[in-house]
Amino acid sequence: MNALETSSLSIDVLESTTGLRQLVLPAFLIVALATGLAIVVLLFLGAGTLAANRVGRLVLLVGLVALPVMLSAGNLTQGVHESSSTRFCLSCHEMQRHGKSLFVDDRHALAAVHYQNRFVPREGICYSCHSDYAMFGDVKAKLNGLRHVWVHYFRPQPERLELYQPYPNKNCLHCHDDARSFLEAPAHRPVMDALAANRVSCMSCHRVVHDLAKVDAQTFWQAN
Amino acid sequence: MERRIKRAAACAGAGLLLQLAAALHWTPLTFVLSAVLATPLVLLGGFLFLHAVWRNLSDKGAI
Repeated sequence: MNALETSSLSIDVLESTTGLRQLVLPAFLIVALATGLAIVVLLFLGAGTLAANRVGRLVLLVGLVALPVMLSAGNLTQGVHESSSTRFCLSCHEMQRHGKSLFVDDRHALAAVHYQNRFVPREGICYSCHSDYAMFGDVKAKLNGLRHVWVHYFRPQPERLELYQPYPNKNCLHCHDDARSFLEAPAHRPVMDALAANRVSCMSCHRVVHDLAKVDAQTFWQAN
Repeated sequence: MERRIKRAAACAGAGLLLQLAAALHWTPLTFVLSAVLATPLVLLGGFLFLHAVWRNLSDKGAI
């Protein structure tokens, strides 16, 4: 078994997928929701009897307000967490080529280098690099996600996927700015201030991010 | 009061049912529906229940 197959995502999974993949939330959440629903149905049927006495009204309060609200909060929290996963991002067919670019045999392609060397968690690589680290970075990423959903279901698929705005250096520097390899690289020294001020883009030198040409050529890295 | 409580239970139940369906078929669209439709339905159910209690107490002159 190679290194990629041991991760939560493999090229085989991607290649066998067409369109939306069937994903399911964790079993404990499904059981909890089903149990909550059953309780609400029972309370619906016995509402008349329960509303007639104090204990019954307390049971109704817990069963119809506290329990469903807690379950919804848990479900929403889990959903937001799951929506940051690589699998979730790649469940849309538009992202298939970008997903495959994580596996290309290219030491200069940023996505592949970060994925294959585990520079970021594989389970959340899309979100790690494509969410801002500022105060409202997560909110902005989720709102962009809503926009993606809208485009996916209600608009024609764009011929070329592009970022909404130029990739900000601070997303790279969040991890790299105090990394030895970054600080000691001769090419970085003259432009350090410009990089920090976002006047020069990291991508102006690191030009290949998702190597889609090698995806199309089926040139993938396989560990021995 | 029973009718109002049943209405509240129906809302909360519908919200939970939608969330359960979304959890079983987890896609970007079902996640959005779960977040923007199912969760507010549950909150509406809670609000309707509390409103029913308030109205009941109000009718009895307790508040």
